[in-house]
Amino acid sequence: MMKPIQAVKALIAMVLISAGTAGCSFGKTTQESRASMIQSVNPAPGATNDFNHEKVELAEKVKKDIQAFEELYDVAVIAGKEDTLVAYKVKHMKRFGMKRIEKEINKKLEKNYPGENFIVSSDFKIFIEAVELQEKMKNPAYPEKKAEKQLQKIISLKKEMT
Amino acid sequence: MGDKQKQKLTPEQQQYQQLEQKHEIKRPVVKNCFKAFLVGGLICTIGQAITYFYIYFFHFTEQTAGNPTVATMIFLSMLLTGFGVYDHIGQFAGAGSAVPVTGFGNSVISAAIEHRTEGFVLGVGGNMFKLAGSVILFGVFAAFVVALFKTLLTMMGVL
Repeated sequence: MMKPIQAVKALIAMVLISAGTAGCSFGKTTQESRASMIQSVNPAPGATNDFNHEKVELAEKVKKDIQAFEELYDVAVIAGKEDTLVAYKVKHMKRFGMKRIEKEINKKLEKNYPGENFIVSSDFKIFIEAVELQEKMKNPAYPEKKAEKQLQKIISLKKEMT
Repeated sequence: MGDKQKQKLTPEQQQYQQLEQKHEIKRPVVKNCFKAFLVGGLICTIGQAITYFYIYFFHFTEQTAGNPTVATMIFLSMLLTGFGVYDHIGQFAGAGSAVPVTGFGNSVISAAIEHRTEGFVLGVGGNMFKLAGSVILFGVFAAFVVALFKTLLTMMGVL
């Protein structure tokens, strides 16, 4: 039988190897998305089509409105062709009221921007992916089609239940 | 022992009870609670770290990352039980190591190890869920009752 210390060492080695392998293959690429895990990054609002000034303005206005909620500390807004993604992080002690906060945000957005389709989420994964996409969109060579496709992919994460 | 039961005892038995109580080592309840709190909290912190690992490196959201996290925690506790490490943790932490989901993995594997000599089918297979079976039964039943209440409240328009 293995000694307890040997067993713990073997277990730590296994965890480190699997974490390292996963980290090498799926790791986030941008500095901001890496940092968003532990700190506030305050990403700039953006639109999948930079030339559509209406959408860029909409994203900026929405970000300002959502930032006004004192329960939140980081907001990412990406305006797509039809849908606008609003991802946010809730302050630790305010996380008990997540459902209420989401309801209030939805209400405010519906009231201020009728006719627009918003996808609101407090999910950490969706926030990281939104920051990642925003970083990619900063590159002028990044095609609009690809950005739109990625945005829809992020939105589909919200519907995933299993 | 209750007062009614004490009255039924003979004087000799009562005398023995008093003597036994005098020499009985008192359980360090506060110390045990503190140990359980620390180790239980540590296990939950590891679980939270694993959740973040799945969110960050794989395509899991906060809602879906719970499933692989639970599976990983159970797998790790099963390995530690097999290596003989979890017994020591259990002895030190008590409920702190039994209440989190890792306690479930421990109860499955410890029963399997205990009955290994009786053969794989009737020994390991038949007794593996001897302890964990009750967890599954009451877990499913509790989930059923909660779901029933939620459905009723939703139908009534409260939720």
